[in-house]
Amino acid sequence: MDDVVPVLLRVNGDDVRLHVPPTRTLLDVVREDLDLCGTKHGCDVGECGACTVLLDGTPRLSCLTLVGTVEGREVCTIEGIATPAGLHPIQEAFDRRVAAQCGYCTPGIVLTLVALRARMPDASPGHIRDALGSNLCRCTGWGAILRAAEDVFAPCRGGTA
Amino acid sequence: MTPMPRMPMRVPRSIDAALAALAEPGARALAGGTDVVPALKHGLLSPGPLVSLHALDALRGVSRPADGGLRIGAMTPLSALVSHPDVSILAPALASSASTVASPTIRNAATLGGNVLLDTRCDWYNLPDVSRASLGGCLKCDGTVCHVAPRGTRCWAAHSADTVPVLMLLGAELEVLHRGDSDGTRCTRTPLASLVAQADGRTAHGLPRGALLSAIVVPRREARIVHRKVRARGTLDFGVLLVAVARHDSGWSAVVSASGPAPVRVDAPNGTSLVEAAWSAVKPVGTHTVSPNWRRRMVRVEVERAVAALDG
Amino acid sequence: MSGSPVGARGPKIDGRARITGAARFVADLKLPRMAHGAFVRSTHAHARLRDIDVSAARAMPGVLGVMVGADLPRRYGAIPVARDETALAVDKVRYIGEPIVCVVAVDLELARRAAAEVRVSYEPLPAVLGIDAALDPTSPIVHDEARKPSNTLRHVSQAFGDVDAELAASDVVVEARYDYPGSTHAPLEAHGALAAPDPDGGLTLWTSTQNVHYVHKDVARVLGMDERDLRVVKPAVGAGYGGKCDPFCTELCAAHMARTLGRPVRIVLSREEVFLAHRGRHPTRMWMRMGLTRDGDIRAIDFKAWADGGAYASYGVVTSYYLGVFMGMPYRLGAYRFEAMRLYTNVPPCGPKRGHGAIQPRFALETHLDRAAEVLRMDPASLRARNFLGADSETINGLRITSNGVAACMDAVLSASGWHTRRGRLPRGRGLGLAVSAYMSGALHGIHGDDLSQSVVSVRVDRNGAVTVFSGSADLGQGSQQMLATLVADRLGLQPSDIRVVEADTRLTPVDLGSYSSRVTMMAGNAALQAADAVRAQVLDAAATQLGTAASELRLEDGRIHVAGDVSVGVSFVRAAQLAEARLGAVGATAGFRPPLQGSRHRRESVGPSPAYSFTAQVAEVEVDEDTGVVRVVQVWVAHDCGRALQPSIVEGQVEGCVAMGLGEALHEETVHRDGRLVAPSLLAYKVPTIHETPPIEVTLVETHDPIGPLGAKECGEGPQLGTVPAVANAIHDAIGIRLDAPPFTPERVLRALDARGRAG
Repeated sequence: MDDVVPVLLRVNGDDVRLHVPPTRTLLDVVREDLDLCGTKHGCDVGECGACTVLLDGTPRLSCLTLVGTVEGREVCTIEGIATPAGLHPIQEAFDRRVAAQCGYCTPGIVLTLVALRARMPDASPGHIRDALGSNLCRCTGWGAILRAAEDVFAPCRGGTA
Repeated sequence: MTPMPRMPMRVPRSIDAALAALAEPGARALAGGTDVVPALKHGLLSPGPLVSLHALDALRGVSRPADGGLRIGAMTPLSALVSHPDVSILAPALASSASTVASPTIRNAATLGGNVLLDTRCDWYNLPDVSRASLGGCLKCDGTVCHVAPRGTRCWAAHSADTVPVLMLLGAELEVLHRGDSDGTRCTRTPLASLVAQADGRTAHGLPRGALLSAIVVPRREARIVHRKVRARGTLDFGVLLVAVARHDSGWSAVVSASGPAPVRVDAPNGTSLVEAAWSAVKPVGTHTVSPNWRRRMVRVEVERAVAALDG
Repeated sequence: MSGSPVGARGPKIDGRARITGAARFVADLKLPRMAHGAFVRSTHAHARLRDIDVSAARAMPGVLGVMVGADLPRRYGAIPVARDETALAVDKVRYIGEPIVCVVAVDLELARRAAAEVRVSYEPLPAVLGIDAALDPTSPIVHDEARKPSNTLRHVSQAFGDVDAELAASDVVVEARYDYPGSTHAPLEAHGALAAPDPDGGLTLWTSTQNVHYVHKDVARVLGMDERDLRVVKPAVGAGYGGKCDPFCTELCAAHMARTLGRPVRIVLSREEVFLAHRGRHPTRMWMRMGLTRDGDIRAIDFKAWADGGAYASYGVVTSYYLGVFMGMPYRLGAYRFEAMRLYTNVPPCGPKRGHGAIQPRFALETHLDRAAEVLRMDPASLRARNFLGADSETINGLRITSNGVAACMDAVLSASGWHTRRGRLPRGRGLGLAVSAYMSGALHGIHGDDLSQSVVSVRVDRNGAVTVFSGSADLGQGSQQMLATLVADRLGLQPSDIRVVEADTRLTPVDLGSYSSRVTMMAGNAALQAADAVRAQVLDAAATQLGTAASELRLEDGRIHVAGDVSVGVSFVRAAQLAEARLGAVGATAGFRPPLQGSRHRRESVGPSPAYSFTAQVAEVEVDEDTGVVRVVQVWVAHDCGRALQPSIVEGQVEGCVAMGLGEALHEETVHRDGRLVAPSLLAYKVPTIHETPPIEVTLVETHDPIGPLGAKECGEGPQLGTVPAVANAIHDAIGIRLDAPPFTPERVLRALDARGRAG
């Protein structure tokens, strides 16, 4: 009943050809088929943001995204944002500020901020808070995450507030 | 972990193909998937063929028809709607109501069409697997009892679409495609208000099976509208009360939703009180977090505040 | 970086793995031929199991095995005196969601589909729901199989001094009832376990736990295994907050099925199942009478607490003590009496949630002190200050306080919040509230009542200079790896980044009683410090011989051992390690820590005493909308006496996390059941605070250098939560003049209280 179909994706810069049921979630595809386990199961139904990936640069919940609906598109997971040269600036700030406690929500939160930075490098504290409204974090109380985000966004805001 | 149950998927590349797929027994349209996928994972919906509309580019985008209004493709993501300059200018309250849906990331996937047709919700119906199984079903889909009002015979699942109250006040119409008798495609225009008037808890709208919502058409209106959403948290949550209020030459109108199976429209000609009218018209039910009394009281507060915002 | 790492900020040694997606949680582990398990769970709150028909499930292609309660009937439970749980229900179910059957199949989707084919027939019994039903002698008994069947798991009464006489002699007696709700941990990572047969006939179990040692003991007992054949490993864990302290059905069933099937079996809970596994905060009904002199001295407290424990004991025996024993801290009481009961009911079991057992009475106490201050027309801060115990003191119930920074904590938050100039002068609807609290740094006595070490730590130095610390403690994200690395690095003149920590693997690491009771810094930290000091002596002696000087003349810093005052005369740490190996045969040490017994009543009141206590003060500022009842917390100022902040960024993160979790309990979170059914078993319905509900939390660390804590350190991961809810309650009272004695302070409750006051005129 659930035929396997060929699906072509670009994942973290690599072309990936899969043969999977189209109703398979993108979360299962990256974790189980591609072994990119940095993307997390939190609730599986769109209530926590732990499974956030970037689809053509935009945050999406991979637990709600059926792979048959994203044929040919570009997926970026937490494994895809650091380069051989080093961590992404958001990650560097997270490391310095100890913004990850248990680290389970962290990949999703980092990707939310990576996408915000690409779209709006000078995002205000309000923009940052709004964007982070997509993710739950149960450990930090948000303080260290916001300090890390400020490290990255504040220098881009320019002098005129 | 909660896996996706197995079911076939169709990916139509044309409207005709989409209508043909939707005519299959048990077929279900998939737009952004932010409401349907959780319901499928929780076993609330039967796993019939999923007809994904994502490849139908014609259903996406905002345009300005000759009459000066807006035509918004049903598959337009809410995030695109929120940031669209024409929507911000011509229907700012629509953009504002869309910006309260769930979370920014969900709005990247969720569509306006999906929101307009969003299923009704209820504490009990929307319980996950084990907890719901322990209830033994309910009136909404698979039982004979309503757990909100156990002695009653009607379903009290709440109409929870954030954009609907504003769209109703804007006089929005739905452009719906049907499979014609001789294989052609028929397009009808239906006022949103008349479609949601058929909401009865079990269903959120009267869209016929097999039909395809292609666009939401918003006529040009001068009315100023304010939208308010009451919810426990500043993000993610559905509203426990949705209020949209419009000021027009002849008086005031409001649509109150999320407190019962269908949105309630209230009109108050100049010289009468919209607040009092809303207070008498809306009889909310309770949820596990809020009682009917508190909700009803909030109808008064929120309508008052919306009126004040428009008066100011 | 150079110099001692103690007190330095910067990345934690395991930080990078957590921000790159590289950290491996149990659901990320995969093994060849790995099968997947799913549970069939009870749809009844209380029922006898008549028949379980698994034939249809078993017959499905791809289903590998099905187990029921009778396959693994031996009882278990973290607390040895209260083992009342089985891997799967046997004969009877006691809550909606209790696991009955475990189905294992080649993939998870199939396992779940097969589980749906299992038919369970029940003989429903009346359910015992709520405290009143549990106390009602006509109610059915939840554990009717027990030797002395009763719905009371534990009833504790303790009295110190003559409470009745002191109350009678008091100038004012303030009395109130408080109702604290249940709440749950909601870690983002679900509980999960992966078990795999070892080639040598043993079994390895990877599990999302706070406590490999207890899991090790219980899984071996229940499966009838020799403990030596079982290896329990904790991979990265997506937090616990107390919710992963118990052994769970995931571990027992994965282990049993892996042994039965001879292949790896992984079971990861769904989000709903995490809510059902629970072990969260006990809903608690409390009564408090407090007698004071007109000057504000507390003459007596008389306190009762009835806790609804749910269907199984979990750590409930301990809970019943914790409900009472911390009341006198940090206050001087003329007399004190408490009575506490932990009851069985037919809902998911409660257990240890952050601030275990101490959150509820602290809410009562700190709200009560504000009531008393109002009656006495005193500033709530002054009332508290005049009753403070100091450092090197003892509570009325014999708990020995070593370091005590509570006064400095309170001064810090009063000053930061502008208490003296702003309180009472804010616009209507705005208010400030204060609360003070104390919490333990580990229990003086372990739960097994033996005289063994609470924590054993090994430090090994290789000839290449690599330093590895082996500890059974579990880092759940709270930073215990960094704590161990910092202490060891400090003693060896290295940096934490030079240290590798191997943790929570029962084959590799010595025993530690686990990451709960805020015990790890105190217990594992002290053991690590002792082991590191032994290693330090080994390398110092070797270097001293080489340099022809006395060890006491040498300093270890920046990776070198050199003569004090002359950096040029010395050897590298690596060289010193080689010299020491040449002398001794091996470089390394293992040390165990058991806290010194102290306090005059440590034997009788064996639950509650701790080697050291942390202290916290916090002020919350709220804004209340009197039309809607919505309470918004504007800011929280919190000061915490953590002894010494080994890594201040981590300590601040713990304090902020505590306050945030407390704000969830203050305003939103509540485990509500209807007919025994959880009504909010999802992250949408159960309201964990989002960033929008979390205000700025300004943290001040007060460092007191505790004499027993390792390098002066005490706990920081639980205590700061205790005062948050009463601080908010007191702030609401300051804002609108109403007292709320039952969190969470939802809009509806606020409006109801306002209405009641309106009616009262």
